[in-house]
Parts: sequence; structure tokens; C-alpha cells
Amino acid sequence: MKMSKKAKRSVGKTLFYILIIFIFIYMLFPFYWAVNSSFKSEDQLMMTPATWVPRDTQGNFAPYFQNYIAVFQDGQFVRAIWNSTLVAGLTTLFALSIGSFAAFALGKLRFRGRKPSLYLILAMTMFPQVTVLAGLYAVITTLNLPTHLSMILSYMIFTLPFTTWVMTAFFKKLPTEIMQSAWVDGASPFQTFYMILLPLTAPALVTTGLLAFIAAWNEYLFALTFTSIDPSARTIPVAISLFGGSVARQEPFGEIMAAAVVVTIPVVLLVLIFQRKIVAGLTAGAVKG
Amino acid sequence: MAKASKMSRLSKNEQRLAYRLLLPSFIILAVIAFYPLFQVFYTSFTDRVFASQREVQFVGFDNYFSLLGMTIAELPPIIDEETGEHLRDPNTGEYLYERPIRVLPRQPVRYREVSQFSWFGKRYVFGARDPIFIDAIGNTLVFTFFSVILETLLGLGIAMVVHSHFKGRGAMRAVMLVPWAVITVVSARIWQWMLTPSRAGFFNMIMSHLGLSDGQTAFLTVEAMQMPVMIAVDVWKTTPFMALLILAGLQTIPGELYEACQVDGASKLRRFFSITLPMVKPALFVALIFRTLDALRVFDVFQVLLGNRRYSMASYNYFQLIGNRNMGLASAIGVIIFIFIFVFAILYIRAMGVDEE
Repeated sequence: MKMSKKAKRSVGKTLFYILIIFIFIYMLFPFYWAVNSSFKSEDQLMMTPATWVPRDTQGNFAPYFQNYIAVFQDGQFVRAIWNSTLVAGLTTLFALSIGSFAAFALGKLRFRGRKPSLYLILAMTMFPQVTVLAGLYAVITTLNLPTHLSMILSYMIFTLPFTTWVMTAFFKKLPTEIMQSAWVDGASPFQTFYMILLPLTAPALVTTGLLAFIAAWNEYLFALTFTSIDPSARTIPVAISLFGGSVARQEPFGEIMAAAVVVTIPVVLLVLIFQRKIVAGLTAGAVKG
Repeated sequence: MAKASKMSRLSKNEQRLAYRLLLPSFIILAVIAFYPLFQVFYTSFTDRVFASQREVQFVGFDNYFSLLGMTIAELPPIIDEETGEHLRDPNTGEYLYERPIRVLPRQPVRYREVSQFSWFGKRYVFGARDPIFIDAIGNTLVFTFFSVILETLLGLGIAMVVHSHFKGRGAMRAVMLVPWAVITVVSARIWQWMLTPSRAGFFNMIMSHLGLSDGQTAFLTVEAMQMPVMIAVDVWKTTPFMALLILAGLQTIPGELYEACQVDGASKLRRFFSITLPMVKPALFVALIFRTLDALRVFDVFQVLLGNRRYSMASYNYFQLIGNRNMGLASAIGVIIFIFIFVFAILYIRAMGVDEE
């Protein structure tokens, strides 16, 4: 029996949509499970088999909100949110300002040593941070900086080369005539950079800044190492990885999942709002590399 | 004449400005990257212990030998003294061999068993001075190999699906960013909870539902399950990133190419291999490099999910530094990771056959 062309096409279409639904579920399921579990009490979490939504023993839908309240009453976790915001925010600010200085030079100015500098920055974007862990730890303890500052400084290892590289690409695309006409009008090169080129790259700054922020927000190795002597400076990844670890009872997964949801939602929203820009920034950072 | 001198003054100014603008970046990178890198190379040849008053000794390559020292020894068969036959295990029927501890060298330093293997009917033991680190290297390489391959294939598939026209394509592309936006440690914790070794955990619930297991599988403690789980967690988190990079490559392919191909009556498969694949190759290669170098320094998932049960190279580095305060050894591990990544980067660039720019 031969299928008609039309039937064949509609079977293909159905299969295609099944594939799409499958991908959709795969991408979102773990997060859904975290949300589901965050609304369960300890008893509901231990219920076997696990339920798809929070239920009581009669099988009725029964969400439990205490985990969220507990998470926000936990001084450690609230402080971690503050620490992460501070560290990631300042890292982004410094990386953007210092990085765009360098990017302006690399993208728009002619000087001796431009190519080697460019290659060095590119090589730095692939630099394995873990290699310098021991050396950096020694530097940090010698400088005796506050833990927050040492995290911000060390996060420059991955944010600075990245922002410089992406911003260089953006600066290169700006027409040189704008710059030259400003010079003819008597503006100094720095004024040209500050008053004309920088505003033009504002969209690029937003994108690059967001990516740098997420990278710093995500960072775990340095944070875990540098806060080992200063628990009050723990960032979100450290706090969540150690959540309840000090208490000798079973791990409070309800609260951990609530914390996971709380820290994920703002970033997901940010990412969805700036979706197009992020994709453009990621590909500028990688594909053009 | 006057114009020329003005130009050269301008270009001198430009040059000076460029150096001034680059200076802050290079000072920062010098303090946090170049100097520590130099320090790590130097410390790796010493026995420095963190925060200790003991005088630091120069120990040459000792740290490297103690991390990488390996040996292979033959295990003699156990012979029944009466019959002169090779003894078998009465339960399993397998041949019995001498215990590895009896054949591995113990003086001047002790070698411990990593694994055993058979070769031309003889039994050998593979021993190392630091079996945990050798295991960590193996884990990291296995992790890198499988996660990068799976991510590339899945990423390519997803990118092609999302590249075609359908209702809700925009929403799908947004959904793809969700795993990427989840903090790696958070995603590890979510998976840890889904992998709970009872039916309270999602995977055990599903598996016992389908009759695949008794619902008590300890994914994170059973050794054979550990690596597949690490890879699965990483694949979930990173495939979207891969897909996005490949999608960007797909979008650069001009539609006319496909149209021309369609006119020629080429099959879909043919179209994929003769247009799509060659055209996304550059994007694919760059994505591959980034992912491979990233996977070689994997830390977060190993540290959160396996802790001190099993290591990647990076998590062993952390353990030696913070757990044992052994700076010399930790530095040597750092250097070894550096060399691994360096070699992979060179290999990739060679394989691509392109110089940058």
C-alpha cells in the first residue's frame, strides 16, 4: 500500500511536532521538577512514588509554601544573594569599563603591537582558570584583600578577556569616519571615545555585560576556594552546594529546590528579555573568535 | 610638509593613547593571570604547604613523579601445589591470580592498583603512585570525550529543528536558553535530587514504574553509574549552548543554495552532507574547541555530585589545595591540566587547518 503524498507529509509533520515537544520537555523538565519539589513538605518529598504535583495523603493537590519562607528566613542564603549580586555586579562594571578601554584601542587605534595584544586576549579567553588556582590563592592571601574584592579581582580572569574580545569586534564595525570627523572638529581621541563611540556601542555593552554577569553569577571554583576561610562572603553557588550540609540530618531538598527556583527565575527572565542580544553576543564571542 | 608632521603627531598621540587604554587590562591580567601562572610553575617544583612555617624545599620533579608514576606488573597465576594446575574460583570459575599488592613495587615508594587487564593469556596489573589522580585523568578524558560528542550531535540536531519553520519557533529558541541560564551548581543539585536512591527520586520512580529496576538504584554511589550521570547532567546543561552556536552557523547559509539543490533533485540526506555540514563546519569547530577546553577543566558537577568519592582533574586540584593544603602538589596538578588543554588547543587548530583571522 502506497501512502499518498499528502498523507506522507502530514505523518512527517506529526513526527516533527512530536520531536519538538520532546525537545521542549527535555529542556524544561528538570526545572519543572525543582519547582514541583519546592512546593512539597518533607513528608511529601519522601512520599513514594514521587508525585508529579504536590499532593497530600488523600491525593489532593496540596502545595506547601514553608520552604520559600524558610529560605528567606535563612540569613546565610539571603546574604549569599546579596554577595552574589554585589560580586557579579561589580565584576561586570569593572570588566566592561576596563575592557572597553582596551577594546577601543584594539578595534579603532593604530599602534605598534596591536596584533600580538589581540592574540594574547584571544588566548586568554581560553585560559584554564583552574591552573592558576593555587597561585592566585597565594596572591590573594598575600594582598590580604577583603574576600569580596578578591573574588571580583579574580573573576576578571574570565570576564575581562571575553568583554575585550567581543567589544573589539563591535568597535571594529563602527565607521571610522565618525571618529575622524570628531578629530577634525578638535575633539581629543579620548573625548571621541567617551562621547561618541561609547554611546554608539551601548547595545553591545548591555549584551556583553549580561554575559559577563551570568558568568560571574555562575562561578563556583574560585568562590568555594576563597570563601573557605570567610563563610560570610559565600556566593549563591557556594551556599547552595553547602546547603544543610553542616546539619547531620537528611539534606533539606525542599528548601534547596526553593532556593534553586528563587535564584534561577530572575536570571531566566533577564535572559528571555534579552534573548536576541544574548544569542548575538554569544556568537560574536565564539564564532568570530 | 606641515600636514605630514601634523599626521605623525596625531599618530604618535594615537599610539600613546592606545597604550594608556590597554594598560589597566594588562596590569590586572598580570596580577591575576600571568604572575599566578608563573608562580604555579615555580611552586610545582617545591614542597610548599599552605600557611605553614616550614621552610620550602626545592624538590625537582617529585610532585610530578608522585602524581604520574605508573607501572605495569604481571600477576603470577595461583598454582595448586598438588596438581600443578592453575586454580579457579570455586564459585565463578574464573582463574585466580596473585594479589596485586604482592607484585607492585613498595620500595622506595608504594604503587597501588588502578586496574587489571589480560593480554595474550597473561594477567597484568596497572599500578600507580597516586591511583586517585590517574583515575581523575581518566574520568576527565572520558567525561570530555562523551559529553562533547553527545552535545555536538544533539546540538546539531536541535539546531536544525529550530532552524526550520514552524509555529512557536521563537518560543522554542527562548526555551533553549533556560538550561544555559541555570547556575551549574544549581543544576547539579536539581539532578542530585532527581537521582535520589529511592522512589522519592524522579528517575527511580520512573524506572520502577517501567519495571526497569527495584527503585533503589544509587546512581551516584554505584561506580559504573557515576560517569554516565556526570555526562548526562553536563549534556543537559550545555547542549543548548552548542545548539545556539550551530544555529548561528546555519543562519549564514544562503537559502539559494538549497533551492539550487532542490532543482537538481538531490535528496534530503544528500543536501545535509553536501551543503549543511560543510557550511556549518567552521561554527561547529569553534563550538567544539570551546566545549572541549571547557570540559577538560570540569569542576562544578564533580564537586557537587561526587565530592570526595571520585574526582575530575580540577576537583582533585581543589582537594589537594584546600583539603590537604598541599600547594606544591596542587600546583603540579594545575600545570598538568594546563598542558592537557594546551595540547588539545594546538591539535584542534592544526586539525582545522586555519590560522586565526
